Amino acid sequence: MTRSARMKLWLALPAVALIFVFMILPITNMVEMSFRTPGTSEPFGDDYTAMHYARIFGDGYYWGVLFRSLWTAALVTLLCLIVSYPIAWHLSKAKGMKAVLLYAAIASPLMTGVLVRNFGWMIAAALDGPVNDTLIAMGIIDAPLRLLFTQTLVILALVHVFVPFMVLPINNALRNIPPELSEAAASMGASRVAAFRDVILPLSFPGIQPGVILVYVLAVAAYVTPALLGGQMVTYMPTLIIGELTGTFRWPLGSALAIVLSLSTLGVVLAFTLFTWKWMERARA
Amino acid sequence: MNRSAFANQGPVTLGFGLLIVLLYVFLLMPLVTIIGASFTSGQLMAFPPEGFSLQWYAEFLGRKNLIDGLLLSLKVGAVTAVVTMAIAMMAALAGQVITGKLGGWFQLGMTLPLLVPELLTAVGLLFFLYKIGLGKTGLGLQIGHILMSFPYAYVSISAAMRPVPRALDEASASLGATGWQTFRLVTLPLVMPGLAMGGIFAFINSFDLYTISLLLKPIGGNTLPLALFDFLTYEFKPTAAAAATISILLSLVGVGLVQKLVGLQRAF
Repeated sequence: MTRSARMKLWLALPAVALIFVFMILPITNMVEMSFRTPGTSEPFGDDYTAMHYARIFGDGYYWGVLFRSLWTAALVTLLCLIVSYPIAWHLSKAKGMKAVLLYAAIASPLMTGVLVRNFGWMIAAALDGPVNDTLIAMGIIDAPLRLLFTQTLVILALVHVFVPFMVLPINNALRNIPPELSEAAASMGASRVAAFRDVILPLSFPGIQPGVILVYVLAVAAYVTPALLGGQMVTYMPTLIIGELTGTFRWPLGSALAIVLSLSTLGVVLAFTLFTWKWMERARA
Repeated sequence: MNRSAFANQGPVTLGFGLLIVLLYVFLLMPLVTIIGASFTSGQLMAFPPEGFSLQWYAEFLGRKNLIDGLLLSLKVGAVTAVVTMAIAMMAALAGQVITGKLGGWFQLGMTLPLLVPELLTAVGLLFFLYKIGLGKTGLGLQIGHILMSFPYAYVSISAAMRPVPRALDEASASLGATGWQTFRLVTLPLVMPGLAMGGIFAFINSFDLYTISLLLKPIGGNTLPLALFDFLTYEFKPTAAAAATISILLSLVGVGLVQKLVGLQRAF
């Protein structure tokens, strides 16, 4: 490395300091916080204990909420993939002005805040709102559904929040597949379904895998959507964590809950990565 | 989209076309309902709206807590954009000389705030800022926003820098230009669109942040999303739709600018 190149490295200092001091250090600190004793006048005490973990693992209530969070996020991710794949497929074939309009239709919700989009569902999912009107017009239901403050609406809104995160990587993977490949499969007598299942789907996996992981990680930790649209009926881990931090001010317990949630999420992601290893290898070959 | 074109290609293609239309309706529905509901002349927040009026925008302008939220969000977003553009530009220049495996790790580190759930970062920062005496302060909130928005600026700028050939730097240096001159006269003009896009993404991301603002906000200092949440919890009136429409318009302007600067397809 030349002298001027070594000098250039120093330019990274502010960014590295920002991420180290205000992210890596605080998260490491949180691990310490989770072993603190409960405080009396302060949000945490001076001594160390493992009681918060013992309490979480010994209480069926926490197990239930954790399981619900992990399970709901899995369902959201799966639905998100089902909704996103056709959009990504259609987008990957678009060119010119049509492509620009489609990208704009995907980027606009992406660049609008989660709170605003969730609020849009409060209007859309009202008894006489457009969701019920559409379902009735399509003959799927006879009478309007009560959606507000139900788990169904929370899941629907979360899927909506994460669709762009899934569409974009899959679209990029699909654009990288040479069009000759599916034509070749067709000319060799494969039906369209077979060509899709055996050629296109495996080759788009390098887009599916990061999309699934990103959406799952974000969905597990989603706080705003259940808080605004779920009402008081169903509790998820993020609601519980924020409640301990800003409501009851039990910081050590809140930290322990956050760490349990993060490690469980990491476990699920690792299991998924290992389980789908073979598909990734096949797509690379 | 041409429906007769679908019809010529058989029922499968027609069905697929309908599915795509429905999926885009799903994607745009919340934005359309908010914009629609904000212009109602009636008293209820509903879509489709009754008639047309700007009364709820007038009502919004008279709501001190929402206006204060909007102003705070604009201020925090502007500072976030300027600061992240500067440090992301510097980091991207350094990233140019970090090659190989190390370069991959550097990229990963720079995008860390995007990959770790916001909730985790927010909780960690809440304790940390409290410890260093910045708990519940405007500066603490600002730091949180800069941290969370930095990766957007970094990704945009470093992507813009990739096609700039290193040979240009060397040519400029061999002609006697100092490092600063090379940056100002050669690199900067070439990466300008990426830099501007990074600033737009950072601003919009900051404007939309919720969880981190909830945990770090100063006492009595609500950003627009926080103020909107509180408003919706107590009053379900079209005033909220008017406030949210402003936020949607901002993102539409952002989308338009990104398309003009580098093209949406390259940006995403």
